Amino acid sequence: MMKRITTPLKRRLTANSAALILAIAALTTTSQSAFAVSAGGDSAAMEAANADSDPADADDSNDPLEPANRYFFELNRFLDTIALKPMATWYRGVVPGVGRNAVRNFLDNLKSPVILANDLLQGEWDRAGTTVERFGINSTVGVLGLFDPADEWGIKQHSEDFGQTLGTYGVNEGPYLYLPVLGPAPPRDLVGFGVDQFFDPLTYIYWNEPKTVPMTRFVVNGIDARSRGLNALDQIERTSVDYYVTIRSLYRQSRRNEIANGRTDVNDLPDIENLNFDTNEPNTPDTQ
Amino acid sequence: MTITSPKPADSGFFHSFMTTMAKPAATAALALGIGLAGVLAGTPARAASDQQAIKFVEDLGAEAIDVISDKSAGKSAMEDNFQTLLRENADLKKIAAFSLGRYVRTPDQAQKAEYLDLFETFIVKVYVTRLSDYNDEKFDVTGAQEKGSKGREVIVSSQIKFTNGRPPVDVKWWVLREGDGFKVFDVNVAGIWLAQEQRDQFTSILNSNNGDFSALLSHLKEKIGQAEKGNVDAAMTGGDTSTN
Repeated sequence: MMKRITTPLKRRLTANSAALILAIAALTTTSQSAFAVSAGGDSAAMEAANADSDPADADDSNDPLEPANRYFFELNRFLDTIALKPMATWYRGVVPGVGRNAVRNFLDNLKSPVILANDLLQGEWDRAGTTVERFGINSTVGVLGLFDPADEWGIKQHSEDFGQTLGTYGVNEGPYLYLPVLGPAPPRDLVGFGVDQFFDPLTYIYWNEPKTVPMTRFVVNGIDARSRGLNALDQIERTSVDYYVTIRSLYRQSRRNEIANGRTDVNDLPDIENLNFDTNEPNTPDTQ
Repeated sequence: MTITSPKPADSGFFHSFMTTMAKPAATAALALGIGLAGVLAGTPARAASDQQAIKFVEDLGAEAIDVISDKSAGKSAMEDNFQTLLRENADLKKIAAFSLGRYVRTPDQAQKAEYLDLFETFIVKVYVTRLSDYNDEKFDVTGAQEKGSKGREVIVSSQIKFTNGRPPVDVKWWVLREGDGFKVFDVNVAGIWLAQEQRDQFTSILNSNNGDFSALLSHLKEKIGQAEKGNVDAAMTGGDTSTN
């Protein structure tokens, strides 16, 4: 079953990763200039950059490639309908919860090196410690990561990736980009995805080998993640005025939240003190 | 699509080692400025306002769980109850205005009235659907912080712990002081501010229709119609209620 699925998918993905590397190469230039701006601390340049997105334009969609993005979004929805969703539904129906949790735990544990590298790059020492402890405990007591005893002992899981690390350095997400198979991948996160491959031991272990294991991981990870979102995504699709826009909004907000590690900075929230529908003038102070 | 799970910091030997390393610089900064500011900021008046906001959210959370977990009455009764709860406890007008983003001045009086009406129905339909998987969950308020300078806005943090073994979800409530009580302005579930998501959708429709307000109104009507039809479909197929 697995064999039959992975072979054509593998070929497609290999072609894809070639395109991806090209895209990353092209985009790195952009992100370097973004780096230069933030690293130089040139506040005038920063302000000039911000002027494009002043508060009146706060809901500007920053999606110049929207037609292409929507095309790929529909393509992925098609692939989802004919392949991913049926597989995820089958997987959820056939494999008992314990088994699926073991798969999830194992995949999460494999990601520990990437998470650790990014914890350290962000200077999040507490979280780096957590990642090391979790990896140690779950790889041993948790039988090669199949179980998550660390969680039961209060050492909770968290995710990190290089896109988030760039975010903490002040790199903006850039224009929205939606890719076939990969899904939402604006420049910062696409570069992050590329860089994370180099923090991943599997990349080096299978450097000169057939990529069967990394690809299987990619596919199983996708099926498992999809199986966990079956109900939620259906509900979101059904209740959205525009599904594409909803996914874009959810993606951006959840990335912002991940970058802030779940902390809310009240200063980043919109200013609604003077918002008043009756006067129809959001910018005049209310007089009540 | 990523599923987020915000995690609190944990301690351990590695943690204490690393904090010792990072400490000297941070301590200097703290001792100089932030420590002093912290002492001045913690005034009793604010704390009282926070306590009231916490109480409001605790009561509202308990009520909301009652409404959502009562599956016996059927979906339309749940929608009625949810609507009552919403009218009493949310500043729907402000949320509706916020959801229009920079198009807030666009509708004329008649359109505005129709929009407010549709908005309420839409929100009720959307959230009764989205919350249908929730049951009699455990709800804890974990803290509060002030927003803005006037002491009229508070962000209250809470956590929902699921009875079926799903990982807990962080929920934040952005509440506004209005009169003697509070009203909800926005709710953040697992990192997503719901009104902001709504605003992104509405402004996108208005953008692609060159700001034509009637386009938004007809989208809302269409979606409400679909939700009603969707209920019938779900009832006929028995729906899909399993999770994880």
